[in-house]
Amino acid sequence: MSDPKDEVQNQDPNYWRSFEELYSDPKFLKEINNEFKDGADEAPDTSKMSSLSRRKFFALLGASAAVAGAACSDYQDRGEIVPYKDKPEEITIGKANYYASTCGGCSSACGILIKTREGRPIKVDGNPDHPVSRGKICSQGQAATMSLYDPERLKTPRQKIKNRFEDINWQQADSEIIEALSNIGGKEIAIITNQIISPTENRVLKDFVDKYTATRIYSFEQFNESVRNIAWQKCYNSDEFPIIKWDEAEVVVSLDSDFLGADYNRVENTRLFSEGKDVINKNFNRLYSVESDLSLTGMNADYRLMLRADAQYAFVMGIINELQSKNVINNTVNASSFNLSKLAADFGLSEKILNYLINDLTNKKGKAIVYAGNHLPEKVHIAVNLLNEELGNSNLYNTKQSRITVRKLSSLNDIKKLADKMNSGNVGMVIHYGSNPVYNFPADINYADAIQNVDKVITLAETENESANVSNYVLPINNTFEAWGDAKTRTGFYSMQQPVIAPLYSTRQKESIILSWINGNSDSNKENLYHKYLMSNWENEIYPTLNSRIEFKKFWFGALHDGVVRSNDTSTGNGSFNYAALSGLTNHQNKMKGMTVHIKESYSLRDGRFANNGWLQESPHPVSKVTWDNYAAISTTTAKKINVKKDDIIEIKVNDRLLTIPVFVQPGHADDSITIETGYGRTNSGSVSEGAGFNANTIFSSSGGITPWLYEGVTVKKLTGTYRLVVAQTIYDFTEEDKKDIPEKRGIIKEGTVEQYLNDPHFLNDKKHKDLKSVNPPIPYDGLKWGMSIDLNKCLGCSECFVACNVENNIPVVGKEEVDKGREMHWLRIDRYYSGTAEDPKVSVQPMLCQHCDQAPCETVCPVLATTHSADGLNQMVYNRCVGVRYCSNNCPYKVRRFNFFNFRDSFNDSYQESPVFALLHNPEVTVRSRGVMEKCTFCIQRIAEARSDATRESRKMIGEDVHTACQDACVTNAIHFGDINDENGELYKYRNHELGYHVLEELNTKPNVTYIAKLRNTHSEEA
Amino acid sequence: MKASLLDYLLRTRLPVTIFVVAASFIITFFASRAERDGVGYTPDQPINYSHKLHAGEMQIDCQYCHVAVEKSRHAMVPAIATCMNCHKIAKKDSPEIIKLAEYYNSGKTLMWKRVHKVPDYAYFNHSVHVNKGIECESCHGEIKQMEKVGQMNSFTMRNCLSCHRNSHERLPYIKDVKRGPEDCYTCHR
Repeated sequence: MSDPKDEVQNQDPNYWRSFEELYSDPKFLKEINNEFKDGADEAPDTSKMSSLSRRKFFALLGASAAVAGAACSDYQDRGEIVPYKDKPEEITIGKANYYASTCGGCSSACGILIKTREGRPIKVDGNPDHPVSRGKICSQGQAATMSLYDPERLKTPRQKIKNRFEDINWQQADSEIIEALSNIGGKEIAIITNQIISPTENRVLKDFVDKYTATRIYSFEQFNESVRNIAWQKCYNSDEFPIIKWDEAEVVVSLDSDFLGADYNRVENTRLFSEGKDVINKNFNRLYSVESDLSLTGMNADYRLMLRADAQYAFVMGIINELQSKNVINNTVNASSFNLSKLAADFGLSEKILNYLINDLTNKKGKAIVYAGNHLPEKVHIAVNLLNEELGNSNLYNTKQSRITVRKLSSLNDIKKLADKMNSGNVGMVIHYGSNPVYNFPADINYADAIQNVDKVITLAETENESANVSNYVLPINNTFEAWGDAKTRTGFYSMQQPVIAPLYSTRQKESIILSWINGNSDSNKENLYHKYLMSNWENEIYPTLNSRIEFKKFWFGALHDGVVRSNDTSTGNGSFNYAALSGLTNHQNKMKGMTVHIKESYSLRDGRFANNGWLQESPHPVSKVTWDNYAAISTTTAKKINVKKDDIIEIKVNDRLLTIPVFVQPGHADDSITIETGYGRTNSGSVSEGAGFNANTIFSSSGGITPWLYEGVTVKKLTGTYRLVVAQTIYDFTEEDKKDIPEKRGIIKEGTVEQYLNDPHFLNDKKHKDLKSVNPPIPYDGLKWGMSIDLNKCLGCSECFVACNVENNIPVVGKEEVDKGREMHWLRIDRYYSGTAEDPKVSVQPMLCQHCDQAPCETVCPVLATTHSADGLNQMVYNRCVGVRYCSNNCPYKVRRFNFFNFRDSFNDSYQESPVFALLHNPEVTVRSRGVMEKCTFCIQRIAEARSDATRESRKMIGEDVHTACQDACVTNAIHFGDINDENGELYKYRNHELGYHVLEELNTKPNVTYIAKLRNTHSEEA
Repeated sequence: MKASLLDYLLRTRLPVTIFVVAASFIITFFASRAERDGVGYTPDQPINYSHKLHAGEMQIDCQYCHVAVEKSRHAMVPAIATCMNCHKIAKKDSPEIIKLAEYYNSGKTLMWKRVHKVPDYAYFNHSVHVNKGIECESCHGEIKQMEKVGQMNSFTMRNCLSCHRNSHERLPYIKDVKRGPEDCYTCHR
């Protein structure tokens, strides 16, 4: 039997990155012969620029005054040095301090380690002692410092007076609000919050309810696991939700789930999952992904099937039916009307892959896990639970730890009732407690209209948002780096949060605002109000339960130091499966209606709360590489059917709700399905996020969908006009000629299968380029020599490394227009290559950074010796010598050098990044580059220098393991290793000399110091 | 043939002018080298602190005040509280100490004039040099003799490299001294 899709897989892959490349668009071919994109080196069109802004005018004024002043002053003057009055004991100028805390970015509550310099947080990494994060953190956590220093943060309390916001003081705000609270007169006080993860914060809210009894608390997350959890409760009668031991799974079947990408708890998921892909111990798991969009998870699947989301129920019941008919599992549910072969025929799924899947589930009983996406309906989750239970896979649920919630999320029904009460005038006050319901609430409850009927609306927020705009009072709250707290998301431990910087503005911790309202005294707020409350809650409530032998004060400082406190509450483990839950599984196949729309949480902005963070806005989508925008992703076939191409604007109609959004044709997307990420299209939210993307929440509703995130029966209409979507990764494209020989000759991507590797470990070894001669005399590097290895088996293309690099190395945000011209400044990019057909491509990812070649082509062409080689093998770039001729970039075969066409800090968004507060964000060990110089990855030379000075101080020899680069520290899957390539005992040595190790573009004889470990797909190669 | 005005201008006036301009430029260039490098720059400080008295006569160790010099890139100008360790009692009535105490008690900012400055594109590291056994005086001059601190050596790349390349001659007091590294990334990043 020959399946056309499998034939493609066995051909030599023809790598491509965009449709223009695949189909050799003539305009595109012309463009790629140029080194820089059209317009990249053109002067800006001044007529299009905004005229001299107020800020620039003052800057100019200041500069001219300074010039005039300098002319008259002492030219030898070198400024002043200001000493401390009393130096804090822990601070040494020039040395970083690290504090353990808990990330407040989302409800995962990962443990973080905050690096501070002279009292200001500059970098965030995971807390190595924290059981969830284990030293790793997601890209939102990495970029959090930019939100702290966002110059557009709210700075003082505001009150709306005659439709205009005016600054007021805290005392006035508090006294007026306390008065309103006391005279609420039988009406409801509604507090709307995000998910509460802190037991102490939950107590504060309870106290508030005790004091003001008319209060009701609504906790809401736009993206949550409520459907999965309800299914779990029905199946196991338990409120403790399992954590999956991905590391022990040999087979993972992901049903439209993005557990490696956008889903909750992805840091732990990716860490555990990647432990199952180990080239050193030759241990490989297998991932099947059955999905509608091409997600980060699907991109890394060994086998991928495309299936619209509303057919997932038929798919999982088909599997159950198949396994029942083979007597692999018991006949506990009637699935007779679901036939897998028929489904395969209907949706064009490869029968061969389905056979592999069935065989794997049969043979790997107890070692395979099936996992369904959060947006799929309850019955899919129940069927999946059943499948896992019957196959004995439930032993992959971690019974030692389970997820618990401090406060249950409100159901959409509760939210609807709240809106009804508002409309009937029964709500006297609404407090947006750090939440943004105007943006995030389902569109069908018309929250923005309902809120007009509330007497007093109060928003507690860090930055302006949609909800603040409709409030009577806007109260600024502390950033997570300025706040105290604790978190309890699992059995077995608590996480601690401590402030690492005093509040930058006149902001208050949100709990302490509530506490002073409970006190009913507007003068009662002190800076340490919540700190004291937190401590006493721990001393009286939590500490006694821990049976600690240490006295409380010591215990408390220990807890803050570690950032995590072990507790002895244990998981009750899995109950027995409740077969009554299966009554919800119908043996009836629904007809597919129209198209489906899946509303997905954005990879970088999440539900929109990180929208004003420039680093995150500019980080390309991990699959499509689109930046600064969201879009409707559709398949090539669907695009042809509705006659649209990339950038065309369409109107999507979902149950009478309309959304206008541009199209992006995504290779590998399922037909008749649309995937839209939300978090974009923010209004009144700060100058970075405004105008970026489209608000997809206009079709998010509490009813009418399969789940709130998934709709069927959707119709699409093409509108006139286009909208430019900027794809970050087409700067350096291939010509038709390049494409043909890339896999074999150029060796940019080398791949194979696990079977090939196990049969012949050296199957990829290419002797062709081993004896290349060089005109340069060989330089012996016998001392310490730096090198890096990147294991492409573990690399998922998730972007964590790349955001960490931005933070560590002071990379500016350049804006959408500049990205379009190929001027983004990222030192590290993640190249994504497709191979195979446009309908069903395979995906390969490759982080690309300066390769620090021993025979670097850039060095020989620099006319001013601004880039040279060091004795320890680094390709050095000296900014103060660079004159900006860009020859080096021209001669670099890897295209990793970035040129400052502008002072981007000044040119982006009206000098947004030159606000005084932004200076606090910068890493003081890295130069802030200005206009006209070339820059590139330095292998984190500042970290090497620090390690070297530490070694000198301790009178020892520096070894490779002393240095961790920022990307290496950030890589959740530990795909990156860094160290001394000459050290035979070092970790790097194993990878550098691995059978699967290769260098990119080996035939150029540049001798790179970055080794890539070739990706192995765990597919069956018997037919090869 | 009669000498024309043009001849005079080209043969006499122009060479003389060029010579005078060039010579004066070259002389000024070399004569002012030290001045331009800042050698000899000795600014007035808000408080007349004497290194000669404290470090020289009283032999207080440099690191009593410059606490970070062994640990960090920066030597650190001491906190006012460090001065007050002694001067809460010692010499309380001297006019300079009264000034100092006022800074301390009022919390007013004490702005020391900066004497030494390495350009901000060079990342000099005090701790590496001190931990290798290089004495402060090798760069900062005879601090212990200075009533008022001034710059004694030029802080140019040439001067850094002359020591990195000829460490044996420049630092004879360190046994087995090795050459300093000369990679760009040693200082520039």
